[in-house]
Amino acid sequence: MRRRVSLLVAFVGIAALSIAFVLVGSGLDFAYIIPRRLTKLAAMIVGGIAVGLSSIVFQTIAGNRILTPAVMGYEAVYLLLQALLVLILGTSSLMVLGDYGNFLASILMMVAYSLVIHHWLFKGPQVDTGQPLLVGLVLTMVIGTFTQFVQLRISPGEFAIFQGFSLISFDRVEPVQLLWSTGLVTLVCLAGSRSLAVLDLMALGRDQALSLGVDYQRHARLLLGLIAVLVAVSTSLIGPTAFMGVFVANLAYACAKSERHRMTLPLGCLTAIGMFLIAQLSVEHVFNYRTTVGILINLACGAWFLVLTLRFRDIA
Amino acid sequence: MIKVTALSKSYGNRPILSDVRAEFSKGHLTSLIGPNGAGKSTLLMLIARLLAPTSGIITIDGTDIASLAVGDYARRVATLRQRPDCNLRLSVEELVTFGRFPHSRGRLTAEDRRAVDEAIDFLSLEPLRSALIDEISGGQRQMAFLAMTIAQETECLLLDEPLNNLDMKHAVQIMQALRMLCDELGRTVIAVIHDINFAANYSDHIVAMKDGAVHTAGSVSEVVTGSGLGELYGLDLEIVERQQGRLCNYFTQKGKTR
Repeated sequence: MRRRVSLLVAFVGIAALSIAFVLVGSGLDFAYIIPRRLTKLAAMIVGGIAVGLSSIVFQTIAGNRILTPAVMGYEAVYLLLQALLVLILGTSSLMVLGDYGNFLASILMMVAYSLVIHHWLFKGPQVDTGQPLLVGLVLTMVIGTFTQFVQLRISPGEFAIFQGFSLISFDRVEPVQLLWSTGLVTLVCLAGSRSLAVLDLMALGRDQALSLGVDYQRHARLLLGLIAVLVAVSTSLIGPTAFMGVFVANLAYACAKSERHRMTLPLGCLTAIGMFLIAQLSVEHVFNYRTTVGILINLACGAWFLVLTLRFRDIA
Repeated sequence: MIKVTALSKSYGNRPILSDVRAEFSKGHLTSLIGPNGAGKSTLLMLIARLLAPTSGIITIDGTDIASLAVGDYARRVATLRQRPDCNLRLSVEELVTFGRFPHSRGRLTAEDRRAVDEAIDFLSLEPLRSALIDEISGGQRQMAFLAMTIAQETECLLLDEPLNNLDMKHAVQIMQALRMLCDELGRTVIAVIHDINFAANYSDHIVAMKDGAVHTAGSVSEVVTGSGLGELYGLDLEIVERQQGRLCNYFTQKGKTR
């Protein structure tokens, strides 16, 4: 019963923040300001759901509380792809590929990358929890360096386009893209809903899940595929979220006081949406646009990640 | 009955098991013993289908286990691996309920609740029912995991070193529970056991392994002999026959005492 209450409290909190975000200082302008803000709000909700779900499910499969797709280099791969596209196709890349082409390319890239990750890291017995983290951070760094190398080759105009991809922002969300993203996230949720009960068992590890009758390999592959789609959606919709997933997932575990995914997943999504809302509200009303959402979120979540890795070392 | 025929397992060129043949009879407790690296756990993991054999066949009641679906196999054979530590915030009851997954796929029926209650009762875990498994002692946690495996209500249970890191009292409790599982519920239990005295006093059969092959197999009186075990472990052993059972003293070695 108490568990339901925490979910309800989180839900009411998010609803209140959303209303504040849409209405405060809008002058009740229904012609431009409010529709524009509703689009941003929708982007936050879709992005938040994608970040929350992908982080928590990824952690369950990895059996590790500090790994997320972002930490494992998914977003770095996305940025490398964008940099390469800009390099090869120039400023016209946006035109040539259109919204769908780029989106599709990103999803394919993410799925391919998750196959690599799956093959490398989640085959065979899990010995060391620290090793995948190290691999992930090194991969992120290496891919990031490649991206920087590509950046040196592109013109300032092209760089400006590329930079648009590499920062969290709700301002560049287009309604068409939003519609696509919403559709995809809904599809992922439907496809994944059958694995909801299985996820609780997968948290016990491959061997125990297998002996409880879970076709671990099949579920892990399916879920990693769905995670790849979610990461592609969130990154192309709002930009790379870096350490936010770690923060969101761990806050959800703490609030849920339970391992059950039917509790942690919704709480994780709500936490992510709440963070976006708080960051956006602060940027608009406290900092008067002198800072960005990305900087605020990275500052808070990066600090948390540091604390977590230090504490993790004590536990492990 | 589980029958292992010409089973081999190797990693690359390194053989772990070669041409293992063994039978595990129904309703009996069989202990797998042997020195470290003999392949006991590997054999158990192969029977559990957590590893795939390089060659050879394992059958359960005449059916090749490789031909059974994962979900079907989980209703016939339950496996418990060593749990070094577990930091999941689950209550004992929630954990035991996981054991019903092969039957209910997550939707609990009255039948599932009965099985969970029985498993908790069987190991006298009622006082710990709502305790969190990351807050109870190692012995209690091992009991909770065993209860999960019992709730699975399979004809066969495979346990990998169930006594690992347990104090004497919990070790005795676990072995008594395994004995009851065989005697009262007619389950087949196969366990990797390192403590030769527990194996000698609680098993029906013992399969002794060495260097990836079966060294000796048979009833306790056939396997637990001074010469046989001495050869198996490379130690001087003294078997003490007592009315309560057989004791094996290997603590003092000839010529190497103080």
